[in-house]
Amino acid sequence: MTETDRAVDDAERAREQGGRGRRFALPSGRPWAGRLAPRWLPDELGVLVVLALLVAGIGIPYPDFLDSDNLLTTAHNSVYISLMACGMVFALAMREVDLSVGGSYAMCLVVGALLVREGVAPWSAVPLVLLTGIALGVFNALVTTLLALPSFIVTLGTLMLFRGVGLALADGKQITDLPLDDSFFTLAGGDAGGVPFALWVLLAVVAVLTVVLARTRFGARVRAIGSNPDAAEFSGIPVFRTRVQALALSGLTTACAATLALAYYGAGDPTLGQGYELQAIAACIIGGTPLAGGRGSAVGAVAGAMILSVVASGLVFFEVPINWTSFATGGVILVAVAADSALRRGGRRGR
Amino acid sequence: MRHEDTGNTENTENTDMLTARALVKSYGGVKALDGADIRLRGGEVHALVGENGAGKSTLVRILSGTLAPDDGSVLLADEARAGGIAVVSQELSLFPDLSVRENLFPHRPPRRFGLLDRGAMDRAARPVLAELGLDVDPRTLLGELPLADQQLTEIARALLRRPRVLVLDEPTSALSAAAVDRLERVLRTLTGRGIAILYVTHFLEEVMRFAQRVTVLRDGRVTLAGVRREETGVPDLVTAMLGGTPPLPVHRTRAPAEGPPPVVLAGVCVPGRLTDVTFTVRAGEVVGVAGLQGAGHLDALAVVCGRTAVSAGRVHVGDRGLPRSLRQAVRAGVAFVPSDRKRYGLMTDRTVWENATAVSWLALGRGGVMPSRSELVRRTLDLTERLRLRGGPHDVVTRLSGGNQQKVVFAKWLATDPRIVVLDDPTRGVDVGVRAEMHRIVGELAAGGAAVLVASTDLAELTELCDRVLVFVRGRLTGEVSGGRLTEHELAAAMQAGADLRAGPRGEGPATAGG
Repeated sequence: MTETDRAVDDAERAREQGGRGRRFALPSGRPWAGRLAPRWLPDELGVLVVLALLVAGIGIPYPDFLDSDNLLTTAHNSVYISLMACGMVFALAMREVDLSVGGSYAMCLVVGALLVREGVAPWSAVPLVLLTGIALGVFNALVTTLLALPSFIVTLGTLMLFRGVGLALADGKQITDLPLDDSFFTLAGGDAGGVPFALWVLLAVVAVLTVVLARTRFGARVRAIGSNPDAAEFSGIPVFRTRVQALALSGLTTACAATLALAYYGAGDPTLGQGYELQAIAACIIGGTPLAGGRGSAVGAVAGAMILSVVASGLVFFEVPINWTSFATGGVILVAVAADSALRRGGRRGR
Repeated sequence: MRHEDTGNTENTENTDMLTARALVKSYGGVKALDGADIRLRGGEVHALVGENGAGKSTLVRILSGTLAPDDGSVLLADEARAGGIAVVSQELSLFPDLSVRENLFPHRPPRRFGLLDRGAMDRAARPVLAELGLDVDPRTLLGELPLADQQLTEIARALLRRPRVLVLDEPTSALSAAAVDRLERVLRTLTGRGIAILYVTHFLEEVMRFAQRVTVLRDGRVTLAGVRREETGVPDLVTAMLGGTPPLPVHRTRAPAEGPPPVVLAGVCVPGRLTDVTFTVRAGEVVGVAGLQGAGHLDALAVVCGRTAVSAGRVHVGDRGLPRSLRQAVRAGVAFVPSDRKRYGLMTDRTVWENATAVSWLALGRGGVMPSRSELVRRTLDLTERLRLRGGPHDVVTRLSGGNQQKVVFAKWLATDPRIVVLDDPTRGVDVGVRAEMHRIVGELAAGGAAVLVASTDLAELTELCDRVLVFVRGRLTGEVSGGRLTEHELAAAMQAGADLRAGPRGEGPATAGG
């Protein structure tokens, strides 16, 4: 099931439930955008405005959309892409691309499911899955450096490689029969304080990675290399080590997404995550991380992923035929990117 | 720019093809050209010489019409107007992944039925290529040709436009002796057809060998105007280029520190670049390296910076041996100010403080994993004040002037307290004031115990800055100029020594020294 399909399902469920949740309707999702915008001005402002307009644009004709359950479900649907996009921001900011995240996601999911099925305590399997993700990222960086190829090509290969490993390990089938009454599945796959656990994880990851990118030496190295790779080399910045770290981070956030997916679905499906890599890249770009590197924003990437998710769910409300959803999603991506860059250009002129 | 008509002339030989009068061009406050005149006659090679920054390039760009003068006029003879002026620039503007044939017709290739007409291309190109003695298959990819043939291809491309005026901007700077001989024959053929050639060069021997007339520029003014070759000589030209009375060498009281020298090269060989080079630089010393293009002086700097593998010899940089990467060199205490600061020195889209901390914090880790931003900005402020940088720590570098940008490059290295400072053309493109400040900083660095190595395309800079200058010719260290002998004239003479044999150890090939 792709993300769009799931969003469609969830949104349909919300529609069927009718006006039940209307009393909890949020004004428009704006307070969120309003609070974040001033601090991250102007890079994330554009995308947050676009997100708010989208939510308002769907919510005004269809107030059911603003039902808090529906909004949380819509947000939850974007968590996996969001987490991958957060890691991808680091790769893009240093002029690398990690196309392998879709494959890593499936492989980490299968590894986690197998470990649990073979009797490893679910909570103990978590660090092992995360380590697997890091290892896959390091592998990407090593191959990129050793073959002196663009990471775009290398990760295009490892995308299929990792997915292939996942499929082989799982024997092409879903891994089921997991101890679903374990606290891992009930807590990490469930809600905490009325909000899906996965969203809390996402919030923490975004907060940490925003600080890492903006304030730490590693983040500054990533941006320096993306800004001018030659000058970074001539300054003695450890480019190779930073590449390993950035791609490992991308693997880590992907493994994090896989862990949460395992907890939520309670099964290991090796076919999950098809096309996630492109959605994650799209989310980053919508969120204002340029492919040319030098800059990046985890907040923007998550907002970008949310936009994709909101569009998918909004299309159901607008009763767009299912076969046109892909078309509409593509159109919205273009509009969002165009609006964001127009806003940014305007902002720059204004200053 | 006005291209005005002059009276009709029937004979192309020795008539004025192009006349430029009282050209003035300023960049900011700096006058690049200050009333320059030049007259090009058909059938003559007219050499244009001058030091770097004398205004040669500006004059060429005005003549070719890519730059408008602030004042003055360029007059083109009637017959020259159709073909116009063709310029072959020192940086080749060719497409290495296209064939020779496709390179020859970049603008309007002959077409047939909407497809490229290869036959027509070859028919047009063949006589020109034959005239130049360029015997290559037109299907060859340009990038596979040796550099000299690439250059002839560029000349061929210019000639296909049938110009009456041809400008060759430093055409031999990367050529072997055999290729220079061939170029001489080409020049003779072209002048035989009545073409006027403006030949811009550094090499005075070539002037005496190729040119019928020579014009010398100094500081944007013409100091020798179109004199016939027979009426002048190399000493006269040097005087015209550098000024009448050679300035007295600057005397310094710098005393190099005792103890082991931070930079030692002993018997160093780099295949095709350096042969058996031995020198040391002591702490507190400013040592220059000089040579014509490809002479190996820049390769010696590259060895110290960890950018070149060494095939033989012993290298000692800082407390360590040969640095095997830029990063190792930086960790050994080397600071490297590259000549192309936009490409190798700066993150131009970033702020001053981000650039200024790129080495000390990002490369050497001083300040830890997550220092406070205000601490980084404060450290930058100390440096920008010391360098008198005009611009705050939060200014984006691309908005600064060239001189202030170069100060940012200095700032990022000063932040590391380097033990070895390697400067490649440290004052390229900066004004006189900034230049003096840079020299002051270099003096302070040496006084503080750093070993300084300088290369410069500006010989005056070497004489002003250095305690001694090592002269390279064809990959070998051939001499050292110091003390009372350290003048531009001495340096120029030492660099040109043996220049007529400038085959170079690498022979004819597309490889050029890294810069």
